[in-house]
Amino acid sequence: MSTGGSDAGTAPEPGWRRDFPIGAAGEEEVTRRDFARFLVLGSGAMAVGNLGLAMWTQLRSINSDRETAIVAADAVGVGETHLFRYPTGSDPAVLLRVDESDFVAFSQKCTHLGCVVYFQAEEDRWHCPCHEGNFEPVSGEVISGPPTRPLGRIEVEVRDDGMVWAVAAHEEHP
Amino acid sequence: MSGRVTRRRRTSSAVLVYVIVLVSMQVFLITVAAEAFLADNETLAWATAAVSIALAAASAAFLRYFRP
Repeated sequence: MSTGGSDAGTAPEPGWRRDFPIGAAGEEEVTRRDFARFLVLGSGAMAVGNLGLAMWTQLRSINSDRETAIVAADAVGVGETHLFRYPTGSDPAVLLRVDESDFVAFSQKCTHLGCVVYFQAEEDRWHCPCHEGNFEPVSGEVISGPPTRPLGRIEVEVRDDGMVWAVAAHEEHP
Repeated sequence: MSGRVTRRRRTSSAVLVYVIVLVSMQVFLITVAAEAFLADNETLAWATAAVSIALAAASAAFLRYFRP
């Protein structure tokens, strides 16, 4: 392994080699300054990673107001649920028929760590099995468990064609 | 003369400790950002990114005080 030096007659050493003149065989020669440089480099890499995650999180909500037909209203009984995808094909969501005329829909991702929630009809609540989070069936507000935010609400409406339409997704409740 | 050298070395050691603490906080922030990503929490994700960039800048600034 090289210790950072270059032999005569070979290509000139790159600039990064002068800044970080450390090879595997020369690890015992790492100075505190070099060590600190590596740490700062790692810190910068983690900052870039954090920024990337923030941008990715933001970009996922771009298509949050696309209108989509979900299912025929008659196909879902009172107290029953229907799974669908909204606003994109990779966003699981669930529709619940509350009574004869009212539907509610939520993102199926738990607001704690993203596990899939499902409706427990006997308990009348949305339940996340990962960490025992529970949510109100109609409002999506937290009942118990580690989540601190309500489920992501999806606005739905029954139109004249008899279909239930998803019209917008909201991160927070109004 | 040797007292000055000792003081410089102590300064460098202190700066190194600061940098290590800041990098440890970066590791913690990465886990917070991952949680924010999984939970679709944009506010938390951006706040984490801002703090992380500030910590990286602070780490780089500390290098100026590092004695050879």
